[in-house]
Amino acid sequence: MIKKIFSLVLIFAGISIIHSCTKLKEQVLDESSVTGLTEQQIAEGNIAPVYALLPTLFQHTNLFSLQEISSDEAILPYRGGTDWGDNGIYMSLHRHETLSSDPNVNNTWNQIVQSISRSVTAINALATNNYVNAKTFLAEARAMRAYYNMLSLDLFGISFKKEDPDATSEILRGDVAINYIKSELLAVEPLLDNTTGPGRMTKAGVWGLLAKLYLNAAVWRDRYAATFTFKTDEMDKVIEYCDKIISSNQFQLASEYFSIFDNNNHNNKELIFAIDQRSDLNGHNRMAYFSLSGDQFPLPSVPAANGTDGPAITPEFYQSWVSAYSPVDPATADPRFFKKNLNIPVDSCILGTDFKIDRGIMRGQQYGLIGGRNIPFTTCGTGKYKIGKLYNVTRGKPTLPVDFTEAIDFTVAGSNYSTGYRVEKYEFSSVTTDGRNRGEHDIIILRLADIFLMRAEAKLRKNNDAAAALIDVNTVRAARTARTAPPALLTMSLDLLFRERGFELYWEHQRRTDMIRFGKYEGTWTEKTNTDKQKRIFPIPLNAINGASNIPGYLVQNPGY
Amino acid sequence: MQKLNQRLLFFRVLPALLTFFFSLMMLVVQAQQRQISGTVTDGKGSPVASATVAVKGSKTSTLTADNGSFTISAKDGDVLVFSAISFETTEVKITSESSYSVTMNATTVVLSDVVVVGYGTQNKKDVTGAVKSLKAASFNKGIITSPQQLLQGKVSGVNVTSVSGEPGVQLGITIRGPGGVRTSNTPLFVVDGIPLDNNVTGRGDPLNFLNPQDIESMDVLKDASATAIYGSRGANGVVIITTKKGKAGTSQLSFSTSLGISKIARKYDVFTADEFRREVPKTGGTIDDKGASTDWQDEVFRTAYTQNYNLTLSGGADKLTYFASFGMQKQEGVMKTNDLDRYSGRFNATQRFWDDRLTIDVTLGVTTTKNDRPFISTILGQAITNNPTYPARDASGNPVFVAGINNPLFSLEGEREFNTINRVLGSISTSLKIVKGLVYKFNFGIDNANGTNDIQTKPSVTPFREGRLETFYNYNRSRLVENYVTYNWVKSPHNVSALAGHSYQRIFVQGRNNSVNRFPVGPVQPQYNPGLGQLLDLATNRPGGYAFINELQSFFGRVTYQYNSKYLATINFRADGSTKFGENNKYGYFPSFSLGWKISEEDFMKNSIFSNLKLRAGWGITGNQEIPEKQTQALFTSSTAGTLSYPLTGNGPYPAGTIYARLANPDLQWETSKQIDVGLDFALMKGALSGTLDYFRKVTNDILLVVPPADPIQPATTLWTNVKDMTITNQGVELELDYKHNGKNFGYNVGGNITYMKNKVENSPYTVIASGNASGPAGLTSATLNGYINGEPIGSFYLNQWLGIGSNGLSVYFDKDKNGTTYTDNDRIVAGTALPKFIYSFYGGITIKDFDFNVNMNGVSGNKIYDLTANASFTKVNLSRNGNTTAEAIAEPNESVSNAAPVSTRYLKNGAYLRMNNMTLGYNFNPSKLGISKWVSNLRVFATGQNLFVITDYNGYDPEVNADRNISGVTSYGIDYLSYPKAKSFIFGLNLSF
Repeated sequence: MIKKIFSLVLIFAGISIIHSCTKLKEQVLDESSVTGLTEQQIAEGNIAPVYALLPTLFQHTNLFSLQEISSDEAILPYRGGTDWGDNGIYMSLHRHETLSSDPNVNNTWNQIVQSISRSVTAINALATNNYVNAKTFLAEARAMRAYYNMLSLDLFGISFKKEDPDATSEILRGDVAINYIKSELLAVEPLLDNTTGPGRMTKAGVWGLLAKLYLNAAVWRDRYAATFTFKTDEMDKVIEYCDKIISSNQFQLASEYFSIFDNNNHNNKELIFAIDQRSDLNGHNRMAYFSLSGDQFPLPSVPAANGTDGPAITPEFYQSWVSAYSPVDPATADPRFFKKNLNIPVDSCILGTDFKIDRGIMRGQQYGLIGGRNIPFTTCGTGKYKIGKLYNVTRGKPTLPVDFTEAIDFTVAGSNYSTGYRVEKYEFSSVTTDGRNRGEHDIIILRLADIFLMRAEAKLRKNNDAAAALIDVNTVRAARTARTAPPALLTMSLDLLFRERGFELYWEHQRRTDMIRFGKYEGTWTEKTNTDKQKRIFPIPLNAINGASNIPGYLVQNPGY
Repeated sequence: MQKLNQRLLFFRVLPALLTFFFSLMMLVVQAQQRQISGTVTDGKGSPVASATVAVKGSKTSTLTADNGSFTISAKDGDVLVFSAISFETTEVKITSESSYSVTMNATTVVLSDVVVVGYGTQNKKDVTGAVKSLKAASFNKGIITSPQQLLQGKVSGVNVTSVSGEPGVQLGITIRGPGGVRTSNTPLFVVDGIPLDNNVTGRGDPLNFLNPQDIESMDVLKDASATAIYGSRGANGVVIITTKKGKAGTSQLSFSTSLGISKIARKYDVFTADEFRREVPKTGGTIDDKGASTDWQDEVFRTAYTQNYNLTLSGGADKLTYFASFGMQKQEGVMKTNDLDRYSGRFNATQRFWDDRLTIDVTLGVTTTKNDRPFISTILGQAITNNPTYPARDASGNPVFVAGINNPLFSLEGEREFNTINRVLGSISTSLKIVKGLVYKFNFGIDNANGTNDIQTKPSVTPFREGRLETFYNYNRSRLVENYVTYNWVKSPHNVSALAGHSYQRIFVQGRNNSVNRFPVGPVQPQYNPGLGQLLDLATNRPGGYAFINELQSFFGRVTYQYNSKYLATINFRADGSTKFGENNKYGYFPSFSLGWKISEEDFMKNSIFSNLKLRAGWGITGNQEIPEKQTQALFTSSTAGTLSYPLTGNGPYPAGTIYARLANPDLQWETSKQIDVGLDFALMKGALSGTLDYFRKVTNDILLVVPPADPIQPATTLWTNVKDMTITNQGVELELDYKHNGKNFGYNVGGNITYMKNKVENSPYTVIASGNASGPAGLTSATLNGYINGEPIGSFYLNQWLGIGSNGLSVYFDKDKNGTTYTDNDRIVAGTALPKFIYSFYGGITIKDFDFNVNMNGVSGNKIYDLTANASFTKVNLSRNGNTTAEAIAEPNESVSNAAPVSTRYLKNGAYLRMNNMTLGYNFNPSKLGISKWVSNLRVFATGQNLFVITDYNGYDPEVNADRNISGVTSYGIDYLSYPKAKSFIFGLNLSF
């Protein structure tokens, strides 16, 4: 018996050993750290992530919101009491009352700091890489780190200096930050290629960034100044770098203004640096979808792709166009304001392939495909679709026409679904399935018109050379010849240049920076009366402040938040 | 040769056997023995089943049947000894009569009850930790889908809160308060010795697979001195579930069935069409009147029927006992198209060998749960806010499509979720007595769950739906191997028992999903033929998946010592190693010590009123290892996903971007809880009044958090870490009381329990850790409701304080920082907590002859609920825009219709309630009176009312609610948002035993 017992114990103990002898080494099944890559794969694998967050960074709720909804170019009310309320963050943003817990501020910050970190990782990896393009990639990574730091300096008033991935980054402000960014850009300029644009950083891209840096240095140096002191030597530098770009003859102003924002804009000669979006990399279509009505359906083949009744332009911004061309309607006077694509035939029937929505600033009653979302589009014959007046059907207001009005504000009447003039600057993706995804167009960071306007501004700020500035401004206007070019301006001043930048660059992620530099940011416009200079920069996100609270004095919140 | 053998068998062996058999019979007769029969009943006249009837001084014994009857052979002058658990041993001398009615008296004190502790059982009277054992008889009654419902309100210190009223929904259960910020605060569940993994394999509560009627007992281990034996999984308490076993000498077939009828307990009191027509214009809105009068809630809710059938076979002989059951519960939800079906089977058996030195127990439970769900929150949202003047159906009763409103009937019909989980839980456990007092045990268990969830949108022309099928497959395979020895040594006055063992558990979890879009409109449901889908590409249909293995290796031990049965001491110890822990912290060590003093055993207490008085005290360290996998390892990953890749040239393919996705934290470890407990068990009046009083204090530190790193320039935006100094303290007092009176034809009992608890977060390095995401409801995106703040309890509501409506018709908020602008982050206040201060319950029962009546009530107080539903839907502006609301929207006559409704204390409501949980009236037929005792041993009919009423100020569907609105895993508390309403049910049932 005892023998039996012991043999049984042995059997069980044996089973146990087979089943349970473990060192508790964690075995990872669903992910693997990368090994065995070629030098090329390592090099490309490091540079790609440096750029990869740009589409997200430039999304409607991220950088776009921070740069545009805080300005007079865009306003986003609580649409119909059901949409875009978002706990008031878009109203706060417009009123310059943004809080440090604001999710869009936090998301924008995250994209920037992550991109800086990816640049640091890439710089360290590429330094020892043997792939033939590794040196160019390295220069691009450094230039991009400088660009992200420039964004961070503009938005949050700080930049980060970090070389060693294991060290804690140094936080830079004001002049120190400007000099750091400048020295980085200067250091990589000779190493960059000039054939890799517009999707990647080039020599010309760096020149454009340097021009921007010098132009804004006065602001970034002395953030809360009553008036900014633009230094002559810095203005000279702006002119110098703009000259370099213009005289390189690599770039060309587009004759059709809206072709710059078309789906196939990647090869448009006006682009200097842009975010290379591809539909098969799931670029986003938010720039085209954001402002359209929820009852506008730009694609006959996709009844699910509509707009979202996002922001509209403020009446003040609209009036700047009206007063510039009065009594001529801005749509007639300036091809940048509007492009008519949808001409309704007598029988209101149109081939699906011919259907294209209008571009630019959309006003009044909108027409388009009937149906969508829950209801199939009304057709009329083979491949043909009925076109008609649009109503807010998807909003449960089938009798409320989609009739964009000039008036828009935060009152109940002013925040209805159709208030405010809308912007359809970028072309709606032809392959999107829901309106938001599969964007095709590149999103512009730098283009030639901006360079001309920066040079004009520097000339004005340097010695008020209005004549030279006027030539630059009129060069841009005169180039838009595809339809009737806007008339040449006769005089030039900082106020007129500011207005011109609005006409040329509206909704291109620039307005807040421009308004601050031109001293307009503390002005008054619809639903905005705050004159607090401390709102010129955003709060550092509460999350980041919390995360850094274990190093006292390291990450200090901006005053006023 | 064969033929010869057969012949041999027939002609030699068989006659020999027959001769032997008859000789035996002759012997019996010659011994002058005769058959003695009788019945054994208790003081109330109820039969006592499974009582041992033995002839004193001989080896003859038998057991009573379920109707209390027995037969045994004995001779005149013999003494029969009757013994049974919970009864005083009774002796009867055999006289000339051959039939005896024996009455056994219940032992006055029920302390002889056995409680299940980790890796063994103990007598309740010897336990030194805070442990409560709940037997099947005292479980809650009603429609029960998961075992936690059985003990709601039954155990002090235990808070059971359902997420909503949906059938099978997850039940939150915390023992002595939540100790973590983000980790699961669920206790460890151990079923028949197998610790369950908390990873879910589909919809609903993971314990839905257990048929409540298979459960014999649930033992709740509350304090560290009891749970330290489960080490790194013991910090949130342990619930040990034991399934039923067969009894030797019996043979029973039982059948029970019930029919439940449920209706929504309370509807939202939204405006009727007539009221709506009156109220909309009053707000200044223009009425959009379609002329109908629709109660949208009536359109989506129904009277639901629940059928339950349960068949059990149990019994056994001396060496083999078994229990087998088949159960089926078909439950309808009160929302249309919502069903939960459970089919379960169980087989438990015990076999003894070698003079009972070797015992083998096997348990096997197999369950299929099938859950069909409509898109619940979508439908609820539509049902409570849709314009009541819109028609729901046309003249012929078909759902009608009217542009401008979402008719929920289309969603009910076209959008569904089909969830099936198959789960097998089995174990084999061997116990071998090596020498006297020394027992070796071996356990092997498997837990295998497969879940499939089809989320289907049927294609449709009007309303236009493209059609989509998304399928999630989840697998969870767990394996357990344990070896341990126990040793008992008794030499009066010393009594020592010791336990030492090793345990290894391996859990493999896998999830996969895929989807396909654009189905042709037709009768075929996408789930039955995904191949009909016409759109499949990586941008919308990228398959997903994950898999991981968790391994846990443990060494554990326990020593208990009793001196003179008066002074008790217990030491528990466990060392837990886990693959989840960092390289520098592979093993955690969890000791506990506890002492007990049975004061009532002391000489000076001999004549006191106390029949039992025991003082307990314990201290221990336990852990919580619910850390996500892989967090201790760095990840350098490479992918062509959009956020990693970028075009470097004009044409593809795109390079795979390589980034650090995660930083290694080799120091990552479990959360640690230190708990002290002082308790007093007492019984007075010969045990009629008994109770327990406990004080506890549990301090958790090394709190696990996902934090942004100090330097913002980091490869990963967040990092898992233990926040060393941060603590979460739970302390409280628990009191349980029970009074029993047993009479011949009349008995009653009353009792109850109350827990007072306080929770506090301290030394958090963060000003506030936000949770309670208000996103989802239009206009509330990004707002948070809960905050973890130093000096305040977990689940605190951190909100702007609403002071009322100002003269301009707009809301006025408290300007805490007095900077002139109200409603900023800095103006938020702590406005109460979702954790109740008091949890209480009481119960009562009366037995009059064959009738019995039981009632259970439970409640909480001192807690708040955030009514996110009202915040999102019931506002004046919504009403003015033709959305339906309750009268809450117009409660402020001066409110402007342009007044925004951001999150604030305006929608924070008192969450206290008292619920009539269940009430049962039963009647036990007397089979012998009916003359059917030959076939039927027990016949009972009963009626149960479940959730008959709730006393509360809260005006949502139900105050017991906890919608999950976590933010990056930080747990939210006390939020109600479009939560499935609770049902009120009446259940009629029949139990029959043969």
